Amino acid sequence: MSTAILQGGIIEFDDGLPGFEKVRQFVLVVSPSLDPFTLVQGTGAGAPSFLAIDPRLVDAAYASPLAESDRIRLGAEPKTPLLWLVLVTMGADGRATVNLKAPLVINPGAMRGIQLLAPDSPYAIDHPLPPV
Amino acid sequence: MLVFTRKRDEAIIIGDGIEVRVLRVGRDAVRLGVTAAPHVPVHRREIYDQIRQANATAAADAGALSEIAARLRRAGPPAGGDAS
Repeated sequence: MSTAILQGGIIEFDDGLPGFEKVRQFVLVVSPSLDPFTLVQGTGAGAPSFLAIDPRLVDAAYASPLAESDRIRLGAEPKTPLLWLVLVTMGADGRATVNLKAPLVINPGAMRGIQLLAPDSPYAIDHPLPPV
Repeated sequence: MLVFTRKRDEAIIIGDGIEVRVLRVGRDAVRLGVTAAPHVPVHRREIYDQIRQANATAAADAGALSEIAARLRRAGPPAGGDAS
């Protein structure tokens, strides 16, 4: 699903993100100069932003299971299309990694999002970012 | 911190209906069952801390991230796939 349709709209993260629990509203910024990355921008003074990318561009077979309780937190039905993004981190060595273990999952229909914490996720928290 | 002594199959209630029940007591581990409404996130502490650390490292201001994106885009050819 394209992030472009969400451009500018405020997405509510009711629980914030771990470490940023008080930042509850984010907007997605997409632009030709960022593509294929998306800027996940916290709203409000001093709120953090994150660089994110579609996990399927990192691992074409990426599929993280979504628990029923997480679906409910997103206000989503089983067939509701969801947007998945993973956060990019620049390492001290200048290499970029992506957090495939805890993706952002967004329900565009409800403009609600969560950061998924799946304890049994097979994915790495610091998966190397392939060339984009 | 509130401290309780609970036996197997005994529970505590937190707030409006969050129940934590002792299911099994072993030598080095206790098995707990948590019952909460679906919208209440329940996580293992160490996983939460791990993701918190990762988020703190990933967070930056939007300007710096735009520069990083530009640098990463220059670093390699398109990976393919539908980025739209």
